[in-house]
Amino acid sequence: CSPQFRNHGYVPPESAVSALTYGVDTRETVSATLGRPTTTGLLGDSTFYYVQSRFRTVAYQAPEEIERQVLAVSFAPNGTLGNIERFDLADGRVVQLSGRTTAEIFADRTFINQLLGNVGRFDAGNLLGDDE
Amino acid sequence: CGGRGDGFRESGALDTLTPEQIYIQGESLLESGREDDAAFHFTEIERLYPYSEWAKRGLIMAAFAFHRDGAYEDARASAQRYLDFYPAEEDAAYAQYLLALSYYDQIDDVGRDQGLTFQALQALRTVIEVYPDSPYAADAMAKFDLAFDHLASKEMEIGRFYIAGGHYTAAVNRFRTVVEDYQTTRHTPEALYRLVEAYVALGLNAEAQTAGAILGTNFPTTSWYRDAYVLLTGRGLRPDVVGESWLTAIYRQVIRGEWI
Amino acid sequence: QNFSFDSVRVEGNQRIETATILAQAGISQGETLTAGQLNDAAQAIRGTGLFETVDVVPDGGTLVIRVQEWPTVNRINFEGNARLSDEELAPLVGSVERRVFSPVQAEQDTAAIVQAYAASGRINAVVVPAIIRRDDNRVDLVFQVNEGGVTEVERISFVGNRGFSDRRLRNVLETRQAGLLRQVIGSDTFVAERINFDRQLLTDFYRSRGYADFTVNDVGVNLTRERDAYLITFDVQEGQRFDFGTVTVTSAIPEVDVSAFRAAVRVRPGQVYSPLAVDNDIARIETLALRQGINFLLVEPRITRDERGLALNVEYALVPGDRIFVERIDIEGNATTLDRVIRAQFRTVEGDPFNPREIRESAERIRALGYFADAEVEAREGSSPDQVIVDVNVEEQPTGSLSFGVNYSSDNGPALVASFSEANFLGRGQSLEFELSTGSDNRVLTFDFTEPRFLGRDLEAGIELSFRQTDNASALYDTDAFRVSPSLGFPISERGRLNVFYAGEYTDITDVAGSDTPADQSDDASPIIEAEAAQGGLWTNSVGFSYSIDTRRSNLDSPTNFLLRAGQEYGFGDRSFIRSTALASAETRVMGEDVTLRATLEGGFLNYLDGNSRVTDRFFLGSRVIRGFERGGIGPRDIETDDALGGNTYAVARLEAEFPIFLPEEYGISGGAFVDYGSVWDVGVEQTDRVRYDDFTPRAVAGVSVFWDTPLGPLRFNFTRPLLSEEFDRPQNFDVTVSTQF
Repeated sequence: CSPQFRNHGYVPPESAVSALTYGVDTRETVSATLGRPTTTGLLGDSTFYYVQSRFRTVAYQAPEEIERQVLAVSFAPNGTLGNIERFDLADGRVVQLSGRTTAEIFADRTFINQLLGNVGRFDAGNLLGDDE
Repeated sequence: CGGRGDGFRESGALDTLTPEQIYIQGESLLESGREDDAAFHFTEIERLYPYSEWAKRGLIMAAFAFHRDGAYEDARASAQRYLDFYPAEEDAAYAQYLLALSYYDQIDDVGRDQGLTFQALQALRTVIEVYPDSPYAADAMAKFDLAFDHLASKEMEIGRFYIAGGHYTAAVNRFRTVVEDYQTTRHTPEALYRLVEAYVALGLNAEAQTAGAILGTNFPTTSWYRDAYVLLTGRGLRPDVVGESWLTAIYRQVIRGEWI
Repeated sequence: QNFSFDSVRVEGNQRIETATILAQAGISQGETLTAGQLNDAAQAIRGTGLFETVDVVPDGGTLVIRVQEWPTVNRINFEGNARLSDEELAPLVGSVERRVFSPVQAEQDTAAIVQAYAASGRINAVVVPAIIRRDDNRVDLVFQVNEGGVTEVERISFVGNRGFSDRRLRNVLETRQAGLLRQVIGSDTFVAERINFDRQLLTDFYRSRGYADFTVNDVGVNLTRERDAYLITFDVQEGQRFDFGTVTVTSAIPEVDVSAFRAAVRVRPGQVYSPLAVDNDIARIETLALRQGINFLLVEPRITRDERGLALNVEYALVPGDRIFVERIDIEGNATTLDRVIRAQFRTVEGDPFNPREIRESAERIRALGYFADAEVEAREGSSPDQVIVDVNVEEQPTGSLSFGVNYSSDNGPALVASFSEANFLGRGQSLEFELSTGSDNRVLTFDFTEPRFLGRDLEAGIELSFRQTDNASALYDTDAFRVSPSLGFPISERGRLNVFYAGEYTDITDVAGSDTPADQSDDASPIIEAEAAQGGLWTNSVGFSYSIDTRRSNLDSPTNFLLRAGQEYGFGDRSFIRSTALASAETRVMGEDVTLRATLEGGFLNYLDGNSRVTDRFFLGSRVIRGFERGGIGPRDIETDDALGGNTYAVARLEAEFPIFLPEEYGISGGAFVDYGSVWDVGVEQTDRVRYDDFTPRAVAGVSVFWDTPLGPLRFNFTRPLLSEEFDRPQNFDVTVSTQF
């Protein structure tokens, strides 16, 4: 059975990245040439991160990330281009997500209310008793 | 199915009574738990005697009766009409408060549309700003925080959806919204912890350290910080993770609907 | 000059509180005011729309605000309206009971009602708002309506049409000529907007048949002298008919290999030109780009005209679009369905490049869930020009049905039914069905549960539990069958899906007629069945798979689709068997996609390795497999007792056509014709002399059907006539079923 592939995110092509010059380009010019970053650093938008990943799904298994490119564009304090680093899937770590969640205030409406609140569909199937 | 003695609903039945009599009838019906009949009485006063003092009091009582009966749209309509005509009356604060409650009591579970939460927040803000010294301001403020917290949990829900699917950057952007726009809510520590999870998964250890540091300085005693510390330093496995057998995973996700 | 007042008096207000008026006027005691400010105060009070007149008059030390309130509306009703009921008119009216009466609003309401009548074809309707004074400055507002006659379209004619006949063009339009059923049909009433819509229909009709320069010059609408009917004339200019010239694909994007895209293009030179074909090609190119993960690709169709050769050359230029990203996906309107169930239908994730084709496909998937009456997906600009927010606005519809009562099915007779089914259980997308039915000759208890995204994956997990007790009308024995079957289903390719299952089944054949009166042979059941019943209740365990390929899954909306479904079930334990079934069906839409042709081939083969099949295992063909016969109406029969024994093998071919019959669409009625050919045979016993029709004896049936789209669901009425049948068959010439797709 043939696996199915899906791409997410966007990393600019090599041609665009090599057009940047250190110490000159600012956040605006980098954003113009490379496009909007997928996400930015936590403190103020210090570092630009471009992330692109490719997922493969085989039959009943969960989609698996088989390829990831991360381009980190960091800036010097004076706002000009500081450093460009590249990471890939190997740099990441498989993290077991915590199952705990912060309690929610407005919980579900009563079970019965939900169950019967949505009744109203009447279709010919009931009337005619579909014979196999 | 038995007369509930609502002969008064035929048109003209109440015409002969004075406004005060109708009002008193309405109040007694309210005490006996027949809110929708009581509300009918109060609105009739306004229609039959639109000029009397009773019409004004009837309008606010109608809003109260509809609200207690769960007829939120009617409660809103009556409260709004009261505010249109008697903005300066001292009951106006209560009308605005009832208006806010009619949205607030309909706020739904986080998985569903939060349109009503927004409207509740706006109405509650009006109560707080326009009638700060009314008896309802304090409760409005408390309810405002709860509704605001509920919006944060909606962002968290979507963030968790993406992090569970392995879409770490989408999750980061959602959790950052919580940290930046909803930092006064109870979800901030978990949002910071999820940021640590996502950055570690992406291999952006510098950002993970930053998120862990913010979590440590602001919420040092939370279990989220303990988990983040373990993730960042990689020492010591967390107890609750190891024990998760696939059977409990199926039970939790299929039967209870908690899917992370 | 300036004024200062130590007190303010309000006169003439009956209903509105003095404090309210002061609050609106914004004047407080002892303030010094200029004439301008006084005027502003008066203006503010007038602005509320509550007062007929407002005068602000300084009177020595006090300021007098003299007002005259509008009366309040006591009751609103309508008189003289027959065509449009009160309920239909009420929403149009802006005036509200118990609110202040405003003449301006009353005028607007009158205009709205007149407009509503014009829209329903009654252009001569006259509406007058009447005021009835009540005491205490209250009024009743009555809209007196005089509807006037309906104006219908008597005749539609065309000028300048050489390519197509008047009759053919009339079928293209939405407006119909008034015919016999003029009283009942609505679409023959003259409505101005519909004429514009008709112009568009005509233009699309011609343009998609090669007439690239087609235009509707003018539409003449004139009234007969008696003013009760319209004569409409469409003056059209067809222009030349063009075919496709050269078709090329060029690319300005470096990493795109053009040959793959050239293969995706369906338009061939020499074909009749049609903008629809070009749009379909663009859709195919965009979908291919999406599959190959190429972002920001824009397809620009550049058409150059070759006047002499009457040909249009098409060049599909692939150009880099501007880099826009999805900032957020906002889901609204989901009062029952959970956010994650809808969000899971998106293959685009927040932060991904924005691809309109992908968003459209996601919208299709959301609609296909079946939980929503309407699902709109739009993209609007986000917080910056290169970002987009995808707005999903759904309108929920009831997905649960709870029914107690009686239902009648043409095969099993009346049955008492208690059933609860929910397609979207607790908004989680899970489906749950429970049915208890106690018919006269069968008792059924079924429970079905399916989780479409098991463990958060594209993995459908289901459990099916059923207990069926039948007292078979066409034979003299009872059967009990209990079955439990968990299953898993998942995609294994773009269009292929595999379903694997385990099944535990207990079957028993009880109180066979005549077994208690060995001496009297007259009403006995078939000895074959008696032998099978003697084996008593039997457990069988089996595992199996069912593989299906359905071209509609890759939703390239081509008119031709096919479905292949093949599966096997392996029984093990004391009775081991292999039960193989297969179905192949192809469907295509022809003649402007109005007529659907469908050919289906279906078959099954039950092969017992040890032990042999029993009447509860063998195939009985119901009306869903072959029409024109009762259930078990054909196939092997016991020579003496005439009991239907079922067969180990069946094969049926069905050829069908569905076509509109020329009733207006409003009725939702269409027609169909079909031919079924096939049979069921081989009981699998040695003494074949006791069994009639044990070998392949073909049956053939021809029939016509009427489809009726009712609010209860699509019904199908079949009228059949056997062409080839045997003496002891049990034909059934009329049948009504729920008409389902293949």
